[in-house]
Amino acid sequence: MDAFLTSRNASDVLHGLVNGMVFGLVALGLVLIWRATRVLNFALGAMATAAAYLGLGLLSYGVGFWWCFLLCIPAGMAIGALTERFLVRPLYGKPEINPIVAMVGLLILIEAVVGSIWGTRQRSVIPPFSYVDWHLGSNPVALSPLAVFQIGCAVVMALAVGALFRFTNLGLQLRAAALAPEVSRLLGVRVSRMLTLGWALATGVAAVACVIVSSGFISGLTPSGMEGPFAAGFIAAAVGGLESPVGALVGGVSLGILEAFVTDYWSPNLVLPVSLLVLVVVLVVRPNGLFGHQRVRRV
Amino acid sequence: MSATKPHTSTEVVDVKGSSGSHSRIGEIASRLASKLSGSRQRHPVLHRLLLTVLVVCLGLVLTGLVSGVTNLDLATGVAMSVAILGLSFLTGFSGQVSLGNGAFFGVGAYVFAIWGNHQSSSIGEDLLVCTAAGAVAGLIVGLPATRLRGPYLAGMTIAVAIAFGSLIDEFSSWTNGDQGLNVQSPVTPPAWLASFIGEPTSSLRATFMWRADITIVVAGITFFLMANLFRSRKGRAMRLMRENEVAAELVGVSLPGARVSAFVVSAALAGLGGGLTTLVSTAVYGSTFTLGLSIEMLTLLVIGGIGTLSGSLIAGLLYAYSITWISSLVSGLGLTSSSNLGSQMNNIIFGAVLIITVLVAPLGIAGTTQFVISRRLARRRTERLDKAG
Repeated sequence: MDAFLTSRNASDVLHGLVNGMVFGLVALGLVLIWRATRVLNFALGAMATAAAYLGLGLLSYGVGFWWCFLLCIPAGMAIGALTERFLVRPLYGKPEINPIVAMVGLLILIEAVVGSIWGTRQRSVIPPFSYVDWHLGSNPVALSPLAVFQIGCAVVMALAVGALFRFTNLGLQLRAAALAPEVSRLLGVRVSRMLTLGWALATGVAAVACVIVSSGFISGLTPSGMEGPFAAGFIAAAVGGLESPVGALVGGVSLGILEAFVTDYWSPNLVLPVSLLVLVVVLVVRPNGLFGHQRVRRV
Repeated sequence: MSATKPHTSTEVVDVKGSSGSHSRIGEIASRLASKLSGSRQRHPVLHRLLLTVLVVCLGLVLTGLVSGVTNLDLATGVAMSVAILGLSFLTGFSGQVSLGNGAFFGVGAYVFAIWGNHQSSSIGEDLLVCTAAGAVAGLIVGLPATRLRGPYLAGMTIAVAIAFGSLIDEFSSWTNGDQGLNVQSPVTPPAWLASFIGEPTSSLRATFMWRADITIVVAGITFFLMANLFRSRKGRAMRLMRENEVAAELVGVSLPGARVSAFVVSAALAGLGGGLTTLVSTAVYGSTFTLGLSIEMLTLLVIGGIGTLSGSLIAGLLYAYSITWISSLVSGLGLTSSSNLGSQMNNIIFGAVLIITVLVAPLGIAGTTQFVISRRLARRRTERLDKAG
């Protein structure tokens, strides 16, 4: 057992798990927004980065890590809600390309504004956890207190969102507004408010993903730091089908583990090309993703 | 170029009937306009050819008058406009959004440098190889696109754009990785062009002048061919596919075929644009072809005007000159270009302009101008008809 836990394959899985949870959270954010408003939010990574800068920026004023971390979530939610209300809502019902271009514009704008306020140099975020791996006997297990913190944050966040949707009245309204807006409006659901809330939740989730990314040992906080995780998160969401939150999380974790194996056995440069290949193969076999449903297109 | 909007010409024809109240010059002008627009409708290809030759000749004369640095900017902008024209065709006609055309652009740029360093072929052949390489890359990326819709496709092309950088690193024995690749063998202009310029080609002005000349001629040929493609059976079939897939399928358009061919054409033009850019800059750096470049191409296209030829040209020139304008704005505001705000000013302005364009004028500069002109012509026409009747 000890030999297995310290083996190369087991440590690849554990390394992949941390990245995979990040991809899963980004994918979850994308799915929440897609289900609610049929917009693929290309700016999600940048919005999360802005939230993380707002929250973690307080670290340099001597505020404790946990307060900064917790502040990132409402900051992200505010950014998401404002974006939906003022940028996305005028574009509902317009050609499909318009929201895509608007989100690309927001991506450029946010990265530039963040860079102009805080600079493009990497800011290190030091969480109160050791990055040194635990040992079994004399061999290291690829798991440190920091990794446990990162995985734990992601799991708690995913469970919280799941519980909100599954067990609360608000979650029911959110699901109803996304699935059947006309009927829910007749039944008294404030649909447009629910859509705004969906964007807020998604950005809050993505903000946690950004904190996890930037709290790593090597990586810090940079304005464009979420571009890579966003691309992987998108691939995970698309593999899962863009409709299914569970699919997004499963897709994210699988992709993270796959990437860890590719990095270890092959080359870190081939991580994205291989993920892309997986996406293409999955979508050629099942055009609506592994967890998606066949949609009917009307004339 | 105005050849893309024959629908406005019919309104000009009608001016003839009410020319009695005009001055003599106005009468001659309106008769000339009606003759011209009549010929445009009878011989559209000839009309486009004449217009292209006219614009290219004007461009060539311009390169003889301006400084070396201006020629460099001009060549960079025109080369980029070729690549953006491809994206315009893909997005504006077949309705597929690509955020990965920067990767095809990079393929063309690297192929020009690598091919040029191993083969001693003429510049024309080099550029054809770049175009072909771009087309092959477009085919590879475009084949899965037959199964993907809007946002899935856009997301996949984002991943292509990001993956391209790591592929450059992976094949660093060919691409020289971060160090960049210089075009080692000195690229020289064809003898006839050198004699036409009549100046030693080693001077700074002549160096960029002949490059700008070649770029303008190649761009002219490309724009002419694309103008015909826009108006052809294929082009109309693609626009129908963008508007209504099911209707297009019912009238016999092969959707997968149309999708892939749009990707191939778009990537071929991106490859050609990349090749031209390397011809102008004589060096390739992997750090150029990031996701940022692909995003910039889409941004410029939307601001210029999707689906129009003139929009692509405007977009290319914006690409070349916006850097100068924005850096003079930065220094005008009393900022240094190395400060946080100064270094980000470019993206702040482009991001804001892009969002405003989408919200206020989604047709872009060219599309909105065409719309305003055609509406004004229509209004003038109804006023005349009111007066006459």
